[in-house]
Amino acid sequence: MTASPSRAPSTLLEVHDVRKSYVTNLVSTPVLHGINFSMLRGDFVAIMGQSGSGKSTLMNILGCLDTPTSGNYRLNDREVASLSRAELAVLRNQTIGFVFQSFNLLKRMTIQDNVALPLIYAGVSRGEARKRASEQLAKVGLGEYGQRQPNQLSGGQQQRVAIARALVADPPLILADEPTGNLDTKTSEEIMALLTMLNRERGQSIILVTHEPDIAAYASRLIRLKDGLILFDGPAAEGLHQMRIESSEALV
Amino acid sequence: MKFAHVFAEAFRAMLANPLRTMLTMLGIIIGIASVVLMLAIGDGIKKFIDKQLAVLGSNLVLVQSDTRKNVGARLRSGSVQTLTVDDAQQINSLASVGGAAPMLSTFSQIAYGNANSNSQVQGTTPETFKIRNLRMGKGIPLSEVDIASASRVAVLGKKLAEELFYKNDPIGQTIRIDNQSFQVIGVLDNEGQSFDTGDIGQVVLVPISTARVALIRTPTPRSVAYIVAQAKSAEQVNDMVADIEELLRDRHRIRADDADDFRVVNFGEFAKQGEAIGKGLAFALGFIGAVSLVVGGIGIMNIMLVSVTERTREIGIRMAIGAMPSDVLWQFLIEAVAICVVSGVIGIALSMGLAAAVNATGTFELTVGMRAILIATLFSGFVGVFFGFYPARRASKLQPVECLRYE
Ligand SMILES: Nc1ncnc2c1ncn2[C@@H]1O[C@H](COP(=O)(O)OP(=O)(O)O)[C@@H](O)[C@H]1O
Ligand SMILES: [Mg+2]
Repeated sequence: MTASPSRAPSTLLEVHDVRKSYVTNLVSTPVLHGINFSMLRGDFVAIMGQSGSGKSTLMNILGCLDTPTSGNYRLNDREVASLSRAELAVLRNQTIGFVFQSFNLLKRMTIQDNVALPLIYAGVSRGEARKRASEQLAKVGLGEYGQRQPNQLSGGQQQRVAIARALVADPPLILADEPTGNLDTKTSEEIMALLTMLNRERGQSIILVTHEPDIAAYASRLIRLKDGLILFDGPAAEGLHQMRIESSEALV
Repeated sequence: MKFAHVFAEAFRAMLANPLRTMLTMLGIIIGIASVVLMLAIGDGIKKFIDKQLAVLGSNLVLVQSDTRKNVGARLRSGSVQTLTVDDAQQINSLASVGGAAPMLSTFSQIAYGNANSNSQVQGTTPETFKIRNLRMGKGIPLSEVDIASASRVAVLGKKLAEELFYKNDPIGQTIRIDNQSFQVIGVLDNEGQSFDTGDIGQVVLVPISTARVALIRTPTPRSVAYIVAQAKSAEQVNDMVADIEELLRDRHRIRADDADDFRVVNFGEFAKQGEAIGKGLAFALGFIGAVSLVVGGIGIMNIMLVSVTERTREIGIRMAIGAMPSDVLWQFLIEAVAICVVSGVIGIALSMGLAAAVNATGTFELTVGMRAILIATLFSGFVGVFFGFYPARRASKLQPVECLRYE
């Protein structure tokens, strides 16, 4: 899904007044208080915010893993609220690639089979799925690791496998919730270089959650959450500059 | 496509925890082995009885003197011979009777040259050969002429002939029965146990007339020890028994309120008893099998529920990358069915081993047939579906977010 330069980029997703409350022990705790934003194809968005500000909650809704308590969410021209569980599975399979903080590769399964799994669920034959998985692994620089098990790889390598798995079905959107949270600085930079390359060269739309300004700096757009509301939404450079000012003010 | 993958995953999951899988499988293995053995024993008993009947001759009854119940009867019960060759002839002409043979019987010393043996000698008529499935290995059977002329001829059982003659041809040779000369005219081909002679291979058959003259003293010149009669068909056995009883009461002039002076023993009844014992045994095994299968099935359900809980996060990951609820359902259902079917195969192998061990003893033949294997396999698959469905359904209903949060 490459953004064609000749046409103006179209809207990939649209979030309108999305609210989310968690109900525990009959007590309803509001977490998202009305989120509004839209995203164009080919954009690279970083979401920042303090721990507990609702970043993961928002990502789960964007990823169709969870449903909002109220509000509308349109993804790839489909109204998500109206979809059945099976339709949501198909939507996740074909439209979204997930990259998690804890990699979430399946144990007891080769790297190649891990990467092939989204294609298997899409109904692609085993041989074809494995072939495409190998190609995708080569693209993230792990061509020779296909027959290994996940626990035989380093954290950075495992996250590359997860990125290969997220990309293998060629989804229009990649969602990455703190993908570098478990990685050291150098490996984090490699992962970010890979994601940036995907965004620049393939026009891959990416939404990334992080609390590190250095990581957010790779994105073109920044959304800052605070207590379930959008505090800032604009160019990443501007947002990060504002954050630096805020933190130096806090020091004074 | 998807299914090949699901099967591969099921076996991978089974091998991930081999000891646990093995223990889970035990109940099903025992259950399936019991069911297969139940079917094998059922078949084995039927074969055994058919084989016995083939040796005995089928649809036979034995008519004996029985004076025990008669007032004033002599103390040595059963030794009073109330039956005669004429009774036998009359029985033979009853409509329900296929054939009837009068019998006299004694133990005698049989000698040929230096070889000798103690054997049962039966005096009878050619009818015996027909109703008891006797086949000639060599020579000819007894004939009506032999009976009429009380010829000194004998037909030998196969083993006895080998004992006396080794590899030589017995036909035409003269043997001595209780020091009387008899010419061997035939050797039987039959093997096995007969209801009245024991080993059919050891018997000596002579004309009943000759036996009476030369070997066996009888109270009257027409007395016989017992009569063997065969019904025209299996359905007519009961009619035949009634006909014989009516005929003999009439011939023996027994008054309406007096007891019979004879007894009719139905060998089919023995066969039925054997069959009933076999059925009882099969039923017991079937019961053990059913209980094991239910207990084993519950074990599988339990372990599948544990497995679903343990793999909650895995389920979440699969759903995140596009597994539909039905994909998750199939995955766990196929895993349960695979455990059961593998258990079934092991159970079948186990029962085949046990059957082979029983067969090696030589007393009873157990065959594990295709039918039993098919039934057992279907059964184990059914147990898998039945007990695997609930855990699988539970897995498919899980919410992806909650699964991903699960540690
Ligand atoms: N399943 C849940 N049940 C109840 N409360 C939850 C649940 N998930 C998250 N929360 C709460 O919602 C708030 C936001 O959580 P989250 O979206 O994970 O924040 P972030 O990812 O920004 O750290 C937190 O206060 C958290 O405790
Ligand atoms: Mg979070």
